[in-house]
Amino acid sequence: MLNDILLALYAVATVQNLLIMIAGIWGGVIVGAIPGMTGTMAVTLALPFTFYMDPVPSILLLVALYKGSTYGGSVSAILIKTPGTASAACTALDGYPLAQQGKAGKALNMALYSSVTGDFISNLSLIFFAAPLAVLALRIGPPEFFMLMLFALTTVAGVSGNSLLLGLVSAALGLLLATVGEDMYGSFRFAFTPDMQAGLSIAPVLIGLFALPELIKLVVMRAAKKEEAATLGAQHVTREEFMGSLRSILKGSVIGSFLGAIPGIGPSSAAFFSYGEAQRSSKNGANFGKGELEGIAASESANNGACGATMIPLLALGVPGDVITGVMLGAFMIQGLTPGPLLFQTNIHEVYMLLIGMLVSSVLLFFAGKATMRMFAKVSYIPQTLLTPLVLLLCIFGIYSIASSTFDVAVLLVMGLVGFGMFLLNIPAAPFLIAFILGPMLEENLRRALAISRGDPAVLLSSPITWIFAVLIVFALSFTLRREIRKSKTERQVSQ
Amino acid sequence: MTKPVLRGLIIAAFFALTAFVLVPVFVPRPAFIPGFAPPPDMWPRTVSMIGIGLGLLALFLAFTRPTTAEERIETDGSSQLQMVLRFLGLVVVFGLFLGLLPHLGFLLATMLLTLTVVLLTGERQHRLWIVLLSFVAPVLLLLFFNYSLGTQFPKGVLTKPFGF
Repeated sequence: MLNDILLALYAVATVQNLLIMIAGIWGGVIVGAIPGMTGTMAVTLALPFTFYMDPVPSILLLVALYKGSTYGGSVSAILIKTPGTASAACTALDGYPLAQQGKAGKALNMALYSSVTGDFISNLSLIFFAAPLAVLALRIGPPEFFMLMLFALTTVAGVSGNSLLLGLVSAALGLLLATVGEDMYGSFRFAFTPDMQAGLSIAPVLIGLFALPELIKLVVMRAAKKEEAATLGAQHVTREEFMGSLRSILKGSVIGSFLGAIPGIGPSSAAFFSYGEAQRSSKNGANFGKGELEGIAASESANNGACGATMIPLLALGVPGDVITGVMLGAFMIQGLTPGPLLFQTNIHEVYMLLIGMLVSSVLLFFAGKATMRMFAKVSYIPQTLLTPLVLLLCIFGIYSIASSTFDVAVLLVMGLVGFGMFLLNIPAAPFLIAFILGPMLEENLRRALAISRGDPAVLLSSPITWIFAVLIVFALSFTLRREIRKSKTERQVSQ
Repeated sequence: MTKPVLRGLIIAAFFALTAFVLVPVFVPRPAFIPGFAPPPDMWPRTVSMIGIGLGLLALFLAFTRPTTAEERIETDGSSQLQMVLRFLGLVVVFGLFLGLLPHLGFLLATMLLTLTVVLLTGERQHRLWIVLLSFVAPVLLLLFFNYSLGTQFPKGVLTKPFGF
């Protein structure tokens, strides 16, 4: 085995492979940082170029794009409150307040360190635990999936701001909006126009809800102050700050690696999950959402942690976990490699090369992130009155280009108005988004579980995995209730 | 009417409208559902009912709990009427953009939208940047997306003879 690993290391460490990975990571970071452009888009666009490459460099290019774009989403989330990807939505909750406090560099650095750590741990889990994790992931059926999603939904309590009630209202709105379109049995729900039959895409809803209200606030209230551009060099994350967040980074990395291995979950859910968990367990939990570095660390370590882990079901079982790994499956096939258990017997040399290459790409992500950070830092010099219309322009072009749909552009603008309305009513936007992303998985798996069990709800507590999640849900709810009671008591004491 | 009361009313009314008007009309139940699969309206109806409950709870708390100071919204000191007019102006601009897009084409429509939005923010100082942002940036973005991703942006009925 050691001989195989050394041979693979030797084969990966060529100038050509390193350049390909650097190009992939850098391209991915830039694509991820542009609102409306997604990692899927980057990977799909790069696919034709891989036809003329050797198998391993071609897969490494796609993996590098995926990792880069997942990290890149955090750059725009922190600097302009516009998550480049859905998985960076939680990063915006603490990143943007930090940027407003003149600590954008600190936030970007923490996002980078957490992403690289999460990515590295995820790659290690791919190397050492691919087989057992893949087997465990296969045991997750509709009831387990439903309970897992329900547990992920308890994150809502953590991102509800000052009022849990309004957070729940926001989540209910998100769950309702997620039902628009065709359901699992072919019925069209709330399809007021033919375009709505396909449902609402995540990108326009996400960007409309987070980025556009800033523009509308600027137009209506005109109270934006021009933030002084801060020098990034003076804003390194200190050793104490990093060590203070290390527990959340490690926990986020493990959460990302575990959830990424389950087909269909992906980095966004992992980020929400990790953020909620960090908030519950951290002594700085009360500061989450107000500019807490640990919040960024939890979210970023989990979303990048999920990236490498999505390769686990793909490599070990031949099951693509999401759209991007679906595209990668195509790339494997084009190169004459068939992912699955046989891959480890017939192409073990290529597998080791791929795994080593992925570890190297984690290191490259660090340098690409540092370089890109300086480039994007210039954004803080642009006056708000020019920057926000520029963001609108980027959003419109980006959203249109995803599906060549003017309907998506309309959704973007309408969601901006909805987001502004929610701001006026003090309804937080983050629970809406969490529920909108998790909603379809929650509903589908509940309906599937009930269909399998002939309508018996006991199926939701039919296996040890469902019981584990049930206990975690009860724990999360009791923790939230205790916190709310304490808060209410404090408020009463203050008012007296 | 205080803000918490208004908020509770809006939330309860929205979910009630969804549960009792929109779900029955816009979520059709198929005549035959295989096996024991729950019908398509089960989930939206459940969520709407929970929403009504949350709205009523918000309304109840608005009357029973002492009003806590809500986060102050920062403004430039303009009157409420001015701000309402600005908001309505922006809604009209968004509506016009979507309405005119098929006629003017994507490029011209986005140019006009950007210019209007920049002016609505009150920006008048950086004139060169306003022009560059409103007229040059859309062209560059169109070329970028067109060449790199092959995106075909819609041409306008009126502007098609001019090539955009």
